[in-house]
Amino acid sequence: MGSSARKRKEKKKDFQKPKLKVGKPQAKAANFTDTSFKAKSIVLTQQSLSSTAPSLAAQCAHHLSLLNHKSDSQRRESLAYLTTAISSLPPGAPLPQPASVILPAVQRLVLDGSNAVRQQLLKLLQSLPEGDIASHSDQLLLHTRAGMTHLAADIRISSLDVLEWLLRVAGDEVVSCAGGWVKMLKCFLGLLGWQNNSSGKWSVTQSFGKAGGDAKVQVKQINALASFLRCGLVPSQKEAALAGEGSMFPLWQTQHHMLSERSNAYAHLNLFGAARDEEAEMYEDREDRQRVFHERAEAAVVVGLEQATKAGGELGRAAAQLRRVIREGMADYNGDIGAY
Amino acid sequence: MVKRKVGALEKVEADLASLQYRCRRDPPSYQDDFQNQYNQYETFRELFLSNPSTTDDSGIVSLRELIEFVSHCADCYPTVTAQFPNQLIELLTLHHDELEIELRDKIVGSLVLLRNKDVIDSSTLLNTLFPILVTTSSKSLRALLFSKILSDLRVSNSKGTNHRLNRTIQTVLFNLLTSDRESPKGIWAVKITRELWKRQIWTDAKAVEIMKEASLADNEKVIVGGVRFFLGGDKEREEAAEESSDGEDDIDINKIRHQVGINKKTKKKERELKKAAAQVKKKEKKKNAPHPLNFSALHLLHDPQGFAETLFSKHVQNSKSKLPLESKLLVLNLVSRLVGLHKLTVISLYSYFLKYLTPRQASVTSFLACLAQATHNLVPPDVLEPLVQKIANEFVSEAAASEVAAAGLNAIREICARQPLAMNDTLLQDLVTYRKSKDKGVVMAARGLLSLYREVGAELLKKRDRGKDAALGLISGQLKERRFGEEEASQILGLEEFEKWKEEERRKKRIAMGLPPDLATDEEEEDEAEDWKNWEVESDDSDDSGGWINVESDGEDIVISDSEDEKEPPAKKAKLGSEDPTEGTSKSKSEEPEGKKLSKLLTTTIMTPADLAKLREFQAAASVKSNMPSAKRRAALANTHFDDAITADQIEAPALLGKKKTKEEKIAMAKGDREEHHQSTTARRKEKKLAEGKSTTNKEKARKKNFLMTLGKAKGKQKRSLVDVRKTLKGHIERQKRGGKRGNKG
Repeated sequence: MGSSARKRKEKKKDFQKPKLKVGKPQAKAANFTDTSFKAKSIVLTQQSLSSTAPSLAAQCAHHLSLLNHKSDSQRRESLAYLTTAISSLPPGAPLPQPASVILPAVQRLVLDGSNAVRQQLLKLLQSLPEGDIASHSDQLLLHTRAGMTHLAADIRISSLDVLEWLLRVAGDEVVSCAGGWVKMLKCFLGLLGWQNNSSGKWSVTQSFGKAGGDAKVQVKQINALASFLRCGLVPSQKEAALAGEGSMFPLWQTQHHMLSERSNAYAHLNLFGAARDEEAEMYEDREDRQRVFHERAEAAVVVGLEQATKAGGELGRAAAQLRRVIREGMADYNGDIGAY
Repeated sequence: MVKRKVGALEKVEADLASLQYRCRRDPPSYQDDFQNQYNQYETFRELFLSNPSTTDDSGIVSLRELIEFVSHCADCYPTVTAQFPNQLIELLTLHHDELEIELRDKIVGSLVLLRNKDVIDSSTLLNTLFPILVTTSSKSLRALLFSKILSDLRVSNSKGTNHRLNRTIQTVLFNLLTSDRESPKGIWAVKITRELWKRQIWTDAKAVEIMKEASLADNEKVIVGGVRFFLGGDKEREEAAEESSDGEDDIDINKIRHQVGINKKTKKKERELKKAAAQVKKKEKKKNAPHPLNFSALHLLHDPQGFAETLFSKHVQNSKSKLPLESKLLVLNLVSRLVGLHKLTVISLYSYFLKYLTPRQASVTSFLACLAQATHNLVPPDVLEPLVQKIANEFVSEAAASEVAAAGLNAIREICARQPLAMNDTLLQDLVTYRKSKDKGVVMAARGLLSLYREVGAELLKKRDRGKDAALGLISGQLKERRFGEEEASQILGLEEFEKWKEEERRKKRIAMGLPPDLATDEEEEDEAEDWKNWEVESDDSDDSGGWINVESDGEDIVISDSEDEKEPPAKKAKLGSEDPTEGTSKSKSEEPEGKKLSKLLTTTIMTPADLAKLREFQAAASVKSNMPSAKRRAALANTHFDDAITADQIEAPALLGKKKTKEEKIAMAKGDREEHHQSTTARRKEKKLAEGKSTTNKEKARKKNFLMTLGKAKGKQKRSLVDVRKTLKGHIERQKRGGKRGNKG
């Protein structure tokens, strides 16, 4: 009994209110730490004394760092500054900051919440010299794909624009980078709602064409898919040209024995990364891509196309475009091909 | 125009929480949306893996949120998320050092969530978390992991003991300790084991084995952790159990029921009432459940002798061990505790003490307590004798301070209480003279020693010091010196008298039957059998049989159906065995020592409840006799458990007697625990009643009623006509006569 009384008293002690008195300073808290100090002089270690304006490179660096700013207008303005700085350069002059610095800083903004920022970003990307993009295409593609599956519809749409640009600039690199082919196909099928679920649940068949949402958006997605497949399946002009001029007698197929001009030419060997599965594998050959497309996506695309053509209108036109691309791309595939 | 069907996610703007809610409500319909988000997660993950140290605060949705979302929905889409747990595990194990803190904590939380949803099993989770706990350098992560590991172990052991999981984790901890004895990582094994021991989740020998390995480690922290566990783990466990039993808030079911009757009836209230009722029921059940039998860690040790020896030689005796004195004392305490408890023989331990028994030694009372603790009746007296001599020389002298002398005397007393043979008569007689000292502490300590030896070795004392009881005992030969290794046979109080009474009864009965009083025959056995039938306590003649005459069933056949009685009763067998020697001589019987005869009764007969009741009577009588102070002292000595721990405080205790207290201390002592503000008995009673949830009387209610409420009635009373007043008064008288409104009769 005695101990419990004591305990009760102790417990009460914790919640006792301190008494405040008028005219007296407030009592210090139990854990109060005195942080005041005395000093004879205070010296500021760094003072900017330069009188000249900062160089363009320095300003660009500053604006690159501002891309993390929490206000979206600030981000957009920084992007605009970078865009004008790059596009106002005389042709042939080097970028104020190398592309390898700009791109990693900029690419996160594909997923930015503000619409204006994303549009400005697209302008900036378009202003960049095309040759510098190829070596960064895999990272850009990852961000683009993240944008395409984003929860917000706006981001999904604007990232399609980025993808279109990316395919135009570095199509070959995009379709042959690690995970670039299969995962993109899967992503498109998911977006369009064309997933071919073999488990015949009636609710699933209902959902065909639903996830795409608005018909306009769907048109855009189908167009993006068409250009993606064109890059991956249709033999490019460059390759055809190479094949044409290959007869430099006595040298045959020299280009295969030359050192590669691309950066990271042996990426497909995957010497240093984690082991890849089928999805993340690089498909550098057109034949490989055809095979994978046939195995994984073709049936679903055919079913989806049928639905889309039935819808008619703009959607039907886009679907017809896509069908043409597939027919063209899969024409020389030696497995049996569905009737187009 | 037909209204377009709105897709699942078109309405929401990047709201994972609502999608999560929908997914969990209706998994098949939202599979596509989930799949998209899962793809998103995978993309983010790839982005993250390409540069793990980035802080991903960009955009609206971060990887952290996606992980949370997927882990919440993982049980709805097992096929889609088959790889998800492994990815999280990989992410955590590879990158836990460079991960952003929030993301890291989220991954840990998600893994635990997956475990709670049974997506992964406990051993996977623990095998992931434990290595990180051991290796990581982040304090906050360690704290998080530790709590998660503990809670998971608790949860998986909550319904029933999960032996398999426990065994694997115990093996992991054991291996952690044994693989690298130098490393401080073992402290985690110690912490986890101690916590689980405290909560009574691990109560087996394997946990003790882990702690044993910890105390034999090479790292000081680990050693101290292990040793402290053995010294205090069980007490901690008891306290925790006590706290948990009375710590919970008492739910007053009556109060809740009452409130439900008054307040608005809602489903929530109803649910709460049900819940409270279930809880109360559960608590009641718990109260009635038998107390779980838990062995102390010291008793669960395998091979305590080996453990004590290695512990002593490795950490205490070894000159290379660099333990500071404090830790060394802890280890020494454990060794001596083991020695005392299990009566081990570690001879080198005693000579080790010799060096430290000087008053100038730091924390010497702890050494003295350890020495006393390590003493038991199987320690050779010649090993202890020099120690006692040294204590006497160093501590107990006229020159020493009174506290020192008191502590020394008390230490000697504690040692000698465990091994009385360690003392010789000259030394004892010398020490006993200190009871004439001026200091109270010394006096008390010396008296303690004296009274101890009056019981255990009176012949060592001078004749005039022995006291009446001891002197009488010595003369009668009852009090004999116990020899080395001799154990006292245990007795049951009152058994002696009981046997005498039994013998008497038998004689009486036989004389009444006209038989020679000493010989045993068959009839008696039958009688005994009768006793068993006659289950209730016999009250000699004042039976309710009234005028009935009890006819003994002498010659008749008694059909005994009890299987126990069909066997030959053991008493007869014993008597048959001893028939030859008892034939002529009663002398040999009387020569047998008393103790043996007693034990014979216990081993040869089964007592009937009637017998037990009689025995209890004798016990009560005996306890009256034993109320004398000398007997009390003896009983106290017999009741002390010599295998209990001794602390330095106990050794120092008599020294405090002599100390003068300051005024403040005295006041504080006098005040004690009492409450400051005075409360009248009535008020206290009322408060108690209120606390018990009992209602008040009508009178009380009337008195407490708000004044404004009574106003109307009072006004009305004044305006009554005289007739009305008379009616009321008459009615009042009437009611008084009847005894209230309803009246007294029917």
